[in-house]
Amino acid sequence: MKYIRTTISILLISMIVGFSLTAKGQAEKSSQSTHVEFWHSNSGLLGDAMNHLVREFNDTIGKENNIVVEAVYQGMAADVATKLRASLQSGRASTLPDLAQLDATGVMDVRDSSFMVSVEKLIDQDPSYSLAELQPGTVLSMTYKGEMIGMPFNASTILLYYNKDAFREAGLDPNKPPKTLDDLASYAQKLVKYSADGKKVEQYGYMGVPTSYELVSWIGQQNHLSYLTDFNNGHDGNPTHVLFDSEGTLANFLNKWRAVYNSGGLSNSTSDVRQQFIVQKTAMFSTSTSSLSTILDSVDGRFEVGVGYFPMVDEHATGGVNIGGGALFVFDNNNDPGKKATWEFLKYLVSPEVQLYWHQQTGYFPVANRTYELEEFTQHIEKNPLFKVAIDQLHDSNPEVQSVWWPNGYQVYYEIQNSIIEMLEKNKPTSEVVTYLSETINRFMDEYNRMNK
Amino acid sequence: MKKALSPSFKQLKNYLYLLPALALAYLFSYRPFVKTLLNSLSIVNFSGNIVEFVGLENFINLFKDRNFQISLINTFKFAVMFIPLDVAFCLFAALLVYRKRRLTAFNETLFMLPMAVAMSSAALVFKAIFNPTIGVINYVFRLSIQWFDDPKWAMLTVVLLGVWMAIGLDFLLLLGALRSVPQQLIESAQLEGAGSVATFFKIQLPLISPTLLFVISTRLRDSMLLGGPVMVMTSGGPQRSTQTLVYQMYVEGFVANNYSKGSAISVVVFALTFFLILFAFRFEKRGVFYQ
Amino acid sequence: MRKKNVYKTVVATLLGLVVLFPIYYAFVASFFSLRDFTSPIPLLFPPQFSFHNYVRALTESLLPRFMVNSFIVSFFASLVRMGVAVLAAFSVVFFRFRGRNFLFFVIIATMMLPGDALIIENYLTVSRMGLLDTYAGIMSVYLLAPVQLFMLRQGFKTIPLTYREVAAVDGCSDIRFLWSVVLPLSKSIVMTLWLHSFVTMWNLYLWPLLVTNKTHMRTVQVGITMLGYAESLDYGPTFAAVSLLIAPSLLIFLLLRKGIVAGITKGTIVG
Repeated sequence: MKYIRTTISILLISMIVGFSLTAKGQAEKSSQSTHVEFWHSNSGLLGDAMNHLVREFNDTIGKENNIVVEAVYQGMAADVATKLRASLQSGRASTLPDLAQLDATGVMDVRDSSFMVSVEKLIDQDPSYSLAELQPGTVLSMTYKGEMIGMPFNASTILLYYNKDAFREAGLDPNKPPKTLDDLASYAQKLVKYSADGKKVEQYGYMGVPTSYELVSWIGQQNHLSYLTDFNNGHDGNPTHVLFDSEGTLANFLNKWRAVYNSGGLSNSTSDVRQQFIVQKTAMFSTSTSSLSTILDSVDGRFEVGVGYFPMVDEHATGGVNIGGGALFVFDNNNDPGKKATWEFLKYLVSPEVQLYWHQQTGYFPVANRTYELEEFTQHIEKNPLFKVAIDQLHDSNPEVQSVWWPNGYQVYYEIQNSIIEMLEKNKPTSEVVTYLSETINRFMDEYNRMNK
Repeated sequence: MKKALSPSFKQLKNYLYLLPALALAYLFSYRPFVKTLLNSLSIVNFSGNIVEFVGLENFINLFKDRNFQISLINTFKFAVMFIPLDVAFCLFAALLVYRKRRLTAFNETLFMLPMAVAMSSAALVFKAIFNPTIGVINYVFRLSIQWFDDPKWAMLTVVLLGVWMAIGLDFLLLLGALRSVPQQLIESAQLEGAGSVATFFKIQLPLISPTLLFVISTRLRDSMLLGGPVMVMTSGGPQRSTQTLVYQMYVEGFVANNYSKGSAISVVVFALTFFLILFAFRFEKRGVFYQ
Repeated sequence: MRKKNVYKTVVATLLGLVVLFPIYYAFVASFFSLRDFTSPIPLLFPPQFSFHNYVRALTESLLPRFMVNSFIVSFFASLVRMGVAVLAAFSVVFFRFRGRNFLFFVIIATMMLPGDALIIENYLTVSRMGLLDTYAGIMSVYLLAPVQLFMLRQGFKTIPLTYREVAAVDGCSDIRFLWSVVLPLSKSIVMTLWLHSFVTMWNLYLWPLLVTNKTHMRTVQVGITMLGYAESLDYGPTFAAVSLLIAPSLLIFLLLRKGIVAGITKGTIVG
């Protein structure tokens, strides 16, 4: 046949091309230096900052010690967790990275894994570093069964963002953001703006539906410290049941939240809330401190941005907010024996100067204690009072208010969100919502514990 | 040069040709099927291994689970909205165009174009078109529907996406069926004074019914398996209004790592599609024969 | 009567344009800048024809790599698919052996088991074989195409068995017979099925999504939803990518339209 030869040659060429292309995407591994693969979830401005830090490390400490760090953006925190899980499941250590940035939902997969190398162990091996260098709240947030397993890196708390111009228009003091949920309700009522014909809402007072992210603070802060589940919110072992029902903390919160909704100024929109704040469809919303620089950048002076403490549930809810964000986890993947190179990079990332730079570029707050004593830090804070608010909130919070490590994080997030929307829009009684959520989450924990006996 | 092959070797050689196909059938169809069934009847751990056998417990819990009931309802809701819309549009379009006129080829091509567009690309475009703030739909029709935030309307976007993607093929099939109706039948009916409506119902419809039924049953089966568009456009939201069986199966299996529950849902999906495939098969055979 | 025809054509054309709209929009939006997207009145025509978005899509993301991945997977998978089907169909038609019909039925019966319902177990199988994030892993579950096998068998059956007997007398081996007689005679059906396989593989979404985690292994249908522009309302590069993806398939479709239509109406390609 005429086309046998052509077919075969096409096949051969494709195979050659194919195989050479599979080689692409893997970093050049020189036999001399140790290669550290770092999976992270920082994009946009945060991504730029991360790339800068990696470059700087490679050019300085990296060069001196023959270490090359390769930072791979793997998508959002949930994506990094999914990819990590896939590697862990297949049991193939070589597919694991040396370092991965995970948030609370990703921790469940790794904390009991034999492939994880506890960061506290790495700290113990290095006499020049100790846990005392780190902000105590951040250490606790990453502690499992008494040991700090991940290195806090991009620590954030939740923050209230508001539009100062809108406050002025509504006759509110732009320097006095709402302190409690009751305040929030009355502020929202004053801030909501209707269109000329009164039919459409042009601007809401507050936008957003609480999910596990907000509840960790709104429940955790009640009575100065509360837990959502037993076992210290999962930090001492696998949780078996929720506590927010029997302790009444959820009901307390839901009632207050309902009052905010009844003020008429609350929108249950869940998509792109940050975007809607920027285009002034809402006067207030809450999100991570890490969004501060992005928001200021996007608003670009169109209106004056203000930030305030996350509103308290009531006067007894003095626990403040929990430390969220992410941490870095180390893995035993048959590379970098003793994880020495990885540890060097890790130490670098939490060093005082690097943490200052990271904070300035992103809005995450520094985890290194010594950063707060730096001259440049004090100057920076003076020039940027908005950043100071987040840090003050952190210092005023009870460090024991913990993030929660429970299974099915993704589904719980939506169960809470959907239940609250339903409660508000269908006017369901609080007790019914509490019962539903506690039953559902307890069931998830039951199934998880059964599956992983 | 003819080799004298021993009979047993020759016999073996015959089976060898079938070996790849058989191996693949075992590895990726039969074995996973049995394993899925077993998984659905047990508790499975994080690595996919069975921990203990629990019989029908997973299924009982599944049917009691409100989340699952929502998936089931949504899947059927999709079918009930998607199929009539798809059939009505394609039939209408085919009726307009089956007689060859001047612009027929052009019109035909327009209707067939969605065939050339893959699902994820189409979903991304639809996502932008239906965007409440910057999308064209709300602007052109002067609506302010929050397509992706309002549980009442989100399903419609998925249905419309489904219809758009199905048009290419279904239009073609119905067109072919209409064109194979002998012209004399129609002419003689019209000579006897039948209007176009009567002609349609009494002559065309019965004659295209095998193809029509084929289209309906195939699309019914596709509806049970709806997953991709949901994943790209709505992620099951808002408030689970677009969560379908396959989407929940994906979440349970790949996000929550609850393989027992995921397998149970797979079995339900399989049961639904099995009976629908059987149904479609009967009409496909007839359809092929018909040509 | 004439008037009615005109009406019909007009309505059909309008409907057709409605159907065309999403495709039109994809191309048009690929020229929008961020400002164009956030304009209060949605634009239907690009105010400028800058290729900025295309440049961004091609250089900032791994789009080219995604396309190469898709091409490699589609090409080799369709090749192997055809190979497996041809060998099996050939043996069932031209050989006589015990259990021939039974085994054939066993292979065909897999049509009843939709891949999507088995996806969890298939994923675990592939993961355990270490084939996650590999081309082989993506292709694995699609290497058997029972419908095509069935079609091929129908096609091969049209070749009289006497050809085989005559060839055998001349000392023709089975392989040679397959290669030199059967395949050339079945050229059209084989090419059609091959093309159909390629297109099917190219358009896959769910399975490649699950089986690949590393970004540089993503196929284009999956990768296009993950270009990393979700942070802002800047859809421009995404639409540029979509346009780059749609354009060739539209072109090929328009070129091969007649063939595709014939194939579908004859029943060779279904779905």
